[in-house]
Amino acid sequence: MTITPSMRPFLTLYYREIRRFLKVIVQTILAPIVSSGLYLLIFGVSLGERINLEGGLSYLAFLIPGLVMMSVLNNSYQNSSSSIVSGKFGGDLEDWKVVPLSPTAILWALSLGGLTRGLIVGLMTFSVGQVFFYVMNQQFLIPEHLGLLFLFLMVGGLSFSMFGISIAFWAKTFDHISGVGSFVILPLIYLGGVFFSLDGLHPYWQLVSKANPLLYFINGVRYSMLGESDVSLAVALSVSCASLVLFYGIALVVIKRGQYVRW
Amino acid sequence: MDVKKSPLKISNLVKRYGSYTAVDNVSFEMKPGEIFGLLGPNGAGKTSIISCIVTLQKPDEGECTIFGQNPMDHPLDAKMHLGYVPQEIINHGYFTVEEILVFHSGFLKTWNNKEKIHYLLNRLGLWEHRNKKVKALSGGMKRRLLIAKALVHDPKLLLLDEPTAGVDIELRNSLWEFVMELKAEGMSVLLTTHYLEEAEQLCDRVGVIQQGKLRKVGPTKDLIEQLTQRQVSLIFRGDCANGIKSKYLVDVEDDTARFLIPQDLGIGELITEVDCEIKNLLDIRISEGSLEDAFVRILGEGRDQ
Ligand SMILES: Nc1ncnc2c1ncn2[C@@H]1O[C@H](COP(=O)(O)OP(=O)(O)O)[C@@H](O)[C@H]1O
Ligand SMILES: [Mg+2]
Repeated sequence: MTITPSMRPFLTLYYREIRRFLKVIVQTILAPIVSSGLYLLIFGVSLGERINLEGGLSYLAFLIPGLVMMSVLNNSYQNSSSSIVSGKFGGDLEDWKVVPLSPTAILWALSLGGLTRGLIVGLMTFSVGQVFFYVMNQQFLIPEHLGLLFLFLMVGGLSFSMFGISIAFWAKTFDHISGVGSFVILPLIYLGGVFFSLDGLHPYWQLVSKANPLLYFINGVRYSMLGESDVSLAVALSVSCASLVLFYGIALVVIKRGQYVRW
Repeated sequence: MDVKKSPLKISNLVKRYGSYTAVDNVSFEMKPGEIFGLLGPNGAGKTSIISCIVTLQKPDEGECTIFGQNPMDHPLDAKMHLGYVPQEIINHGYFTVEEILVFHSGFLKTWNNKEKIHYLLNRLGLWEHRNKKVKALSGGMKRRLLIAKALVHDPKLLLLDEPTAGVDIELRNSLWEFVMELKAEGMSVLLTTHYLEEAEQLCDRVGVIQQGKLRKVGPTKDLIEQLTQRQVSLIFRGDCANGIKSKYLVDVEDDTARFLIPQDLGIGELITEVDCEIKNLLDIRISEGSLEDAFVRILGEGRDQ
């Protein structure tokens, strides 16, 4: 593919996004990997020994896909939102407005930037999980449907990058960003079936969980890796793709209408 | 882009913040290759006008066109011809001076322009600082970085919003020298500044803004001529000055009689009018009206309205 001049602004912003998170790699890549590693060790290996799931599945195997998706979602959200917020704070955002960057170029550059970081952390989480899995089972956890796995990770990462963009444009302070992170995203992720299966829940809580869109992202990944999950593939796929379209629409409106002048 | 069209045309521009009208029906047009000064007290609306040009703010009424194109309707084309130096420093937390210039070039569809970037780094005295992050730069260096950024893609129209605010005199002079160079290369420049003396030297034409309204616009020389008077001091031998009578006389102090005369009155006419003995006249000192005098007068008239 040849690069035309009109693609330059988009490619530059995407490249800048990657350079930005690599400049603070300890915060953006290493710290999230350490925390997923700890989850795997404590919940998967240590507590997981005592948990029995139906069908002889080890708890570690159950946990790995959930944690991989959680890493992708969290880091995608963090990346695009913190990029915009720091841009609002320093004034970089004004630059984007006065150069020939179209709203869709900004949207895709930031979303792909977030997805890239999400996938890096997700892949590392997967690798750490594999190490633990090998130690426990003397074999690797081979994903059942590799193509589907990438599809779900991409759809999830892009959706959450776009969600991060929308929140960051709306936010007036750093507190808003971390507030949404801790009071909205984290509970939704934890209650979206990263750590537990719907089977064990009271029917009432099953119903509540099913209203959580993240359940479908996480179970989509679980199905792709293990070949089984709490919700059917078709439902997981449709809800995930519908979320992507929704988040895309919201983010595009926000980028078109948003304020680029600094705080 | 149509290079024959005006680099910048502002038509009936209105910008409100809530119920406050910051820009009130402003219209003016720049000529290709000129330096145009937008002058006015703090809060007059200069930055708001520039923000509308670069689409950081959306005009409530009217429009701005850049070489005939409205950047609101043709953002991707019109913005290519624009170099913008904001009034406020941009902090770019993560990147070094050189990285910022490379990224900004990319945003403007310009790449492999290392030579240009190195030229600008050298020309603006940033070469030694090219690997520093912005927060490690002094205020003056941060401002020069903004100027370098605005020029990476050889724009045809440069907008400078108070580029010399908080910059020491030496740097200010070298900056203006640079701006004159850019003009010589054919760039059109719109600038706002507080330093009227500099505006007088630099600007081919100026517009004076007060409370969002454009009070006056015209060639700098013409405004000074129309709105100020020349001050002429005649210095006489002995106490001859005391006997002087003239309708232009302002005051007499020791041996000096001071007159304010219209720009079109010749010195000969004044001397004839004064009717003194030429042999007693020791010296003549003339000081021309300045842009500052004209500015003060325009604002004074504006306040009376
Ligand atoms: N974003 C904004 N929101 C509300 N008021 C503003 C905003 N920007 C500028 N103003 C007000 O508009 C007026 C003009 O400001 P500005 O254009 O910055 O003037 P200048 O650049 O001539 O000093 C000022 O009274 C200022 O307080
Ligand atoms: Mg201003």
